[in-house]
Amino acid sequence: MLKRLRENKSSQGTLLITPTLVFMVGLLIIPLFLTLIISFGKRSADGNVIYTFGLHNYTRILGMNFECQNGQAVCFDPLYAQILWRSLTLAFNSTVLVILLAYPLAYFIARAHPKRRNTFLFMVLVPLWTNFVIRVYAWMMLLRTQGVINSVLGWLAGVVGIHFAPFEMLYTPGAVLVGMVYEFLPFMILPIFTSLEKIDNSLYEAAADLGANPIRTFLRVTLPLSMPGVVAGTILVFIPVMGTFIVSDLLGGKQVILIGNLIQRQFLDARDPTFGSAASLILMAMTLVVTFFYTRKFGFGEEIVAA
Amino acid sequence: MNPYKRSPLIKVATVLVYFFLYAPIIGLIVFAFNSSRTNVFFGGFINQWGPLQMEGSTVLQSPCGPFHWFCDLTKNQEVMSATRNTLTIAFISTISATVIGTMAALALQRYNFKLKAFSQISLYIPIVIPEIVMGIGILVLFSQVFTFLNSTLGLAGDSRLTLGLPTVVVSHIAFSVPFVTLVVQARLQGFDKSFEEAAMDLGANELVTFWRVTFPMILPGVLSGALLAFTLSLDDFVITFFTTGPGSTTLPIYVYGLLRRIITPQVNALSTIWVFVVVTIVFLLQRFQSQET
Amino acid sequence: MKHNLWKLLAVLVLASMLLAACGGGAAGGDSGGEKVTTSGFVCPEPETQIDVTSQELNLFVWTEYIPAEWKECYELVYGVTINHDEYSSNEEMYAKLSAGGSNYDLVQPTDYIIGLMIRQGMLQELDQAKLPMANYDPNYLNLSFDPGNVYTVPYMAGNDAIIYNADTVTNPPTSFADLWNPEYAGRLVLLDDSRVIIGMTLLTLGYDVNTTDPDQLEEAKNKLAELVPGVKLFDSDSPKTALIAGDVDLGVTWTGEAFTAQQENPAFQFVYPTEGAFLWQDNWTMPVGAPHPDAAYAWINYTSQGNLFWLMLRDFPYIVPNKAALDYAKANETELYDAYMNSPITNVPQEAIEAGHAIEDVGDATPLYDQIWTEIKGGQ
Repeated sequence: MLKRLRENKSSQGTLLITPTLVFMVGLLIIPLFLTLIISFGKRSADGNVIYTFGLHNYTRILGMNFECQNGQAVCFDPLYAQILWRSLTLAFNSTVLVILLAYPLAYFIARAHPKRRNTFLFMVLVPLWTNFVIRVYAWMMLLRTQGVINSVLGWLAGVVGIHFAPFEMLYTPGAVLVGMVYEFLPFMILPIFTSLEKIDNSLYEAAADLGANPIRTFLRVTLPLSMPGVVAGTILVFIPVMGTFIVSDLLGGKQVILIGNLIQRQFLDARDPTFGSAASLILMAMTLVVTFFYTRKFGFGEEIVAA
Repeated sequence: MNPYKRSPLIKVATVLVYFFLYAPIIGLIVFAFNSSRTNVFFGGFINQWGPLQMEGSTVLQSPCGPFHWFCDLTKNQEVMSATRNTLTIAFISTISATVIGTMAALALQRYNFKLKAFSQISLYIPIVIPEIVMGIGILVLFSQVFTFLNSTLGLAGDSRLTLGLPTVVVSHIAFSVPFVTLVVQARLQGFDKSFEEAAMDLGANELVTFWRVTFPMILPGVLSGALLAFTLSLDDFVITFFTTGPGSTTLPIYVYGLLRRIITPQVNALSTIWVFVVVTIVFLLQRFQSQET
Repeated sequence: MKHNLWKLLAVLVLASMLLAACGGGAAGGDSGGEKVTTSGFVCPEPETQIDVTSQELNLFVWTEYIPAEWKECYELVYGVTINHDEYSSNEEMYAKLSAGGSNYDLVQPTDYIIGLMIRQGMLQELDQAKLPMANYDPNYLNLSFDPGNVYTVPYMAGNDAIIYNADTVTNPPTSFADLWNPEYAGRLVLLDDSRVIIGMTLLTLGYDVNTTDPDQLEEAKNKLAELVPGVKLFDSDSPKTALIAGDVDLGVTWTGEAFTAQQENPAFQFVYPTEGAFLWQDNWTMPVGAPHPDAAYAWINYTSQGNLFWLMLRDFPYIVPNKAALDYAKANETELYDAYMNSPITNVPQEAIEAGHAIEDVGDATPLYDQIWTEIKGGQ
């Protein structure tokens, strides 16, 4: 039998992929399927699932309200659409900011001396190895009304002699944005670095020889070649931002409701797993759609990877 | 021309971004020495050594001096057991995910088999799906399976199947495998097969070729994948949140629960130790790297 | 390079083993028959003899709600290992338990969710003969959420009421309705609890906090929508932090938080509003299928003893329904006892108790409350 295994390449492949398939099907496909089934159900009085088939959860999210005030059959309830839109814009803004911050750093490391590159890279990873929740909490300490930033600014203002009113930074949507950018910045730095690193130095020399100034070199050589990394990084940032609930909970004072908060609350406070399941699947569908269109335009980044 | 030359603008930007990355960390570390137990304002350092003396919620004197919270930490059983759990889960899931993921990458890059397309797509799913969706799905699955098995097999008491360390490990493996696979796949692309062919020509069979030629060449990718899996597992909150059971609390879960009451500087002390350990490892890695170059 | 990598891996493994070993420190120990914890507390003898054959006890409890000495003493006296998991909201606890995958012996739900848990068949009936009910103040027994204490033993109780900083709030509120005063805008912290906050709005309109009438709820929603823009943050984790830090000056919080805030800054005052505050009670319950019931009964008996329960006065400032503990503290820990009795936060005046309201589960109307909550928070 072993001999047959050796000769038959196809069964070798199947053997190698089997453990992965077990995990993916067992812990991913089947649970998603279960979630789908539950999303069609109804909520019982005590928060259990009544297994039926109904699209009421989906229509509710998409805003179709069948109990209109003005007697119409169907009207639009913007509540959940607002939440989805807010999540999308936050994810988009965070991603753009992250790209702007990550790119220079990635470029710096990619063109550093090979011996020092790993050090710089690990310096990027070290904050990641502290705890996600603690990092958010650290930002709370910095952004408070009497926190570190305001204290420092107040001291500086005192030295210069200007009147200083502390900035109200915490518990605002801005704080949530800063928190998201901070949490996911390393996930953009690494992929961009990987694709930048692959660019041979001779390309830069060639461009210089042909008379291109630095900006031109960047626009026509560096940027296009680094796109796979940017794409990979975008996927690694955009998607988690859509689903995170802790950052908006802690830094937004629980006032910035994103789709992740909504889902979490359905399973905990509202005890409505049917609605929560539907919301989860809608979220997943949205991220898939965005990813699909994005990668079609820019190509799928194979560099979803640390060096 | 100096290939390592970068414009001063880039350098300034880099410094600023690094500062942005580390400012909260530095704040965390400073507050680990805070004499104020409520940890809202910085009350100064504890500079008296001796038996514990407190005034309200300020520590005036401590047997460990300014390192009071670090000593306090070692007495905190919950933190210790949470740390132990976190590390155990991370190690087991990393090793498993790396092995499974490497196998999968080899399968997908080099072989053709019936379920190839299906496997590739299913590996992308954990990457694009938000963690909360996956976490809840897994919780629902485990509860249904366990309820079913417990009743059919008549298990009760301690032998009942429940959520616990094994369920957390299994779910961590599930979300790590795709990342490892992608990393190793990337490494395998553009892989020069001539080395392998040379080895086979020289009489090595496939197993030997793999172990002595292929594997060493993909090792950097495998290690990157392992590192990624380890990092993901260490810090995971959402999926672990939905799959823990008695005695399997991890550090992120513990810290999140602690937000309910006063977060004493103990938590900062823990973060400081963590950072210190990681920096030490980095330093050692640097030494090994430069030794061999 | 492989050689060095193996070396590094070995170092890593060693380091984490060291860290893990650090944690397994033994607790106190026997010193000739007397059991002492690591903090020097002498463990009292158990007053009731209960035979325990189980080796472990699985507790599922609120974060930071059990004195460390209790666990150490219990482990020393009974030789049982305690597995201790925590949750920070009733909903979290309920979701875990109802998912059916967990195996706990004791859980500490708050009153309003107990009715739901009983209906779902999640709790088992307790054997009163094995429980020290005599240790408890009758005012906290036989309450509407569990008549006859079939399923529960009281743990600690508290209130949700108004807190304000007397230094910064020149015109202090005396009722929930006062919170709508425009001069408080931007300085408020509210609990992130739909039932309490919608409930307080219902009270200002003269309605019942447990109403399921959609019209009344609609009215409450509109009134609450006026308040929300002036709320700086919603926090059910640690509202005292924002108060102490000066991010907010007043708001709604609960007993423990108010007491601690007051300790930090004596300017904080806890006020029971004229409409009546919210009363709640946490209780021990035993889930169906608990694997170690004997250890659980032993735990409740042991920790209910006055000479152990009084530690709650020291560590967690809430209302203590345990008479035996208060008697013990009166005789042996007079400082603690006086602090407890002198503070209206822990020693609630009778009028406040009578005016108080208890939140009950509203069954089918739960998603409606949550919908309102989402609307007023999410529609910004």
